[in-house]
Amino acid sequence: MIDTETNKKLTEIFADDILDRLNCNSNELYLTVEPAKILSICKYINSEMGYPLVSMFANDEISLCENYAIYYVFADREKGQFLIIKTLIDPLKMAFKSITGKVHAAARYEREIKDLFGLNPIGHPNPKRLVFHGNWPDEAFPLRKSFDLHHKPDFAKKSINFGKVISAGVYEIPVGPVHAGIIEPGHFRFSVAGEPIINLEAQLYFVHKGIEKMCEGESIEKCLYVSERISGDESFTNSYAYCQAIEKIAKIKIPARAGFTRVVFAELERLTNHLGDLGGLCTDVAYGFAAYQFRMMKGWAYAIADELCGMRFLRGVNKLGGVRKDFIAGKELIIIKALEKIKKELMDTNEIIKSNGLFIDRVEHTGILSKKIATDLNAVGPAGRGSGILYDVRKAFPNEAYRQLEFKIPEHHNGDVNCRINVKIEECYEAIEIILKALEIMPRGKVLEQIDAVAPYQFAFGITESPRGENIHWVMTGENNTIFRYKIRTPSFCNWPALCHAVKGNIVPDFPLINKSFNLSYAGNDL
Amino acid sequence: MVEAVYLIVQISVIILIAPLVNGIIKKIKALTQKRTGGPLLQMYYDLFKMLKKTAVVSDVSSWIFKVTPFIVFSTAVAAALIVPVTTLIKPRWFPGDLIMLVSIFALGRFFMMLAALDAGSTFGGMGASREAMISSLIEPSIIVSLITVGLIAKSTSVFEIMNFMQEIHNPLIHPVYIMSFCALVIIIIAETSRIPVDDPGTHLELTMVHEAMVLEYSGRNLALMELGAAIKQLVFITLLVNIFIPHDQLINITGFAGIGISLLVYLLKIVVVSIVIAIAEVSTVKLRLFSIPNLAALSFILSFIGFLQYFVFGG
Repeated sequence: MIDTETNKKLTEIFADDILDRLNCNSNELYLTVEPAKILSICKYINSEMGYPLVSMFANDEISLCENYAIYYVFADREKGQFLIIKTLIDPLKMAFKSITGKVHAAARYEREIKDLFGLNPIGHPNPKRLVFHGNWPDEAFPLRKSFDLHHKPDFAKKSINFGKVISAGVYEIPVGPVHAGIIEPGHFRFSVAGEPIINLEAQLYFVHKGIEKMCEGESIEKCLYVSERISGDESFTNSYAYCQAIEKIAKIKIPARAGFTRVVFAELERLTNHLGDLGGLCTDVAYGFAAYQFRMMKGWAYAIADELCGMRFLRGVNKLGGVRKDFIAGKELIIIKALEKIKKELMDTNEIIKSNGLFIDRVEHTGILSKKIATDLNAVGPAGRGSGILYDVRKAFPNEAYRQLEFKIPEHHNGDVNCRINVKIEECYEAIEIILKALEIMPRGKVLEQIDAVAPYQFAFGITESPRGENIHWVMTGENNTIFRYKIRTPSFCNWPALCHAVKGNIVPDFPLINKSFNLSYAGNDL
Repeated sequence: MVEAVYLIVQISVIILIAPLVNGIIKKIKALTQKRTGGPLLQMYYDLFKMLKKTAVVSDVSSWIFKVTPFIVFSTAVAAALIVPVTTLIKPRWFPGDLIMLVSIFALGRFFMMLAALDAGSTFGGMGASREAMISSLIEPSIIVSLITVGLIAKSTSVFEIMNFMQEIHNPLIHPVYIMSFCALVIIIIAETSRIPVDDPGTHLELTMVHEAMVLEYSGRNLALMELGAAIKQLVFITLLVNIFIPHDQLINITGFAGIGISLLVYLLKIVVVSIVIAIAEVSTVKLRLFSIPNLAALSFILSFIGFLQYFVFGG
């Protein structure tokens, strides 16, 4: 399955440059290449083969092969496969060739690698710091194995430079990191001429917690709890992706009932989040009535979660090898009843907001994200689908359960706030239908397959569609059931730069609305 | 004697009722959203709480920042003296006219914008520039619509206009008045920072207008600013209901009993208008900032058509 025509062609063209080839976990192809050839091969994969760069990360493999490794992860979204280009970096050089000029989505990954590993991307157009702010010293690279987790480096005194727009009448608006509402911290620097926004730079990573470093050396069970806490409202999908990766490494197949239980919870989380987003959008345009309708429905969705597992944020549901217990049995009727109530209310509310001309005027043509930019930056989830990128992990990388369920991916092309609202509303309906269908066809049986021990130095991807989009976790195990490296790439990481592009040319008072239509997670980005 | 009664009634009624209007609007909004909402008198509690607190003043701000709350409050009270809540108490001196009313409000607003800029915060500057834009668009229609009514009444005194309107028992069936009335409704929405022009409930710093200007204020100063805004809102509503929906001609009793009844009817009208505002706010959406000029233009055109119709139909 992994040897597709395109992959064959790639290995033929670059036959001399590919040093090693590893085919594992049924849909992952690892090709090790010379560092010097990385630019040409990545450019070929991205532009000729059309695979987007979905993740990119480094790994300190000095204990394994005396080198740092950089993984460039490309996804074949038609066949549901990963093509990973791996290159080894000599610790004496500590530099690699930047591919940002050709593969634009690499920009933030390369800056992240530079901050966390001290590997220098040569030729990067904007090599400024990403993860750390001015107060972090130059010579501290936390994801190197030689860096102690509990080491506290001294404060450095440097300020953050923002991109400046210099012209008559242009001024800067600094917003945050403390905001007027109760939201996560992030600093936004607007360059504006009157009200229209010329440029926006987002300074994030105020809640950088060092999750990836923290997981290294910890047991795989313990990291499950960490994965649930990556981002508050995506706790289920994050742990879902983590479990998938570990289960792939352990080479076990989870019971069918567990698979469907996970689908039910994942869709419930999507429904809850989308309803919350829609409520937030209505609040931002001061549409009190609709905002409270959506909040009420979100409350009902939370009540379902509470009823099923006693936890509205769905923590403690996933377990390596399945789910903790059979949460669904005997509660089917409660779920069906509650979902039908939500569906009816959602239909009514949808009809009312769609017939409100003033509301449509606010959201239409606001915050347009063009398909070109969305593709270049690999915008995922509702943000990508609103701009005409017809991609959903549940269809492209389906697991056993999703393969048996039928659903549609909403398709919208204008890329404005209205499209993202429509995507979310349609996905709410789809989520309800998926849950109802899953409850119907769910087989009886056990829900947990025991995982005893995992082999050391094995790696695999876990990929799920979180409410915000494609969510990719890469896990490499260490000895004694521990984690050697855990790379988390949440959808927020991809969508933040897309947001900065979408606001350009809009007016300042429309920013909260555009921001809310993306509704990105700060915690999920800052890690 | 009459003057003293007039002053006491005007000031006490307007200051006491002003926060209630906000309370009613919030309560009605909460009820339409299936919420219980805060108590009806919440704004009074908030004001008392804030009045007891000291104000935090930025040390980079100048005297403008410190005097503005007093100017805003006193201009609001001065405006309250011009617009009578009941015409049954008639002072012998001239309490002021329409042009003075508009200028007094402009003075308060001018200092409010200066103070917003004075503190040097970003949002204050944005709020001030937006307020300047909105008010400069709205002010012409205030003048035109009120002067049209003044032309018919042959006086610019609010008192005289109200008395005149009582003689035409139902002003709202006359085309001139309908136009002026509609224009004034839009003006009130814009002047009192209500949806769809501004959102009084928002805490999104980038979209605020009025809230952005008072963002730097705290404690007593904030209480004065908030109370000033509430009084201004009530003065505008009073202007609307007492000119276009007069009720004093129906009261035949003289003396304090008549005044009492008149005030009760007035209170009833205010409550009704508050409920209407609340329902209108719930069912509408805040306009895009750059669509506000359209709304202001609509208001101006309405008032101008009213003005022209005066020459066609006469008073």
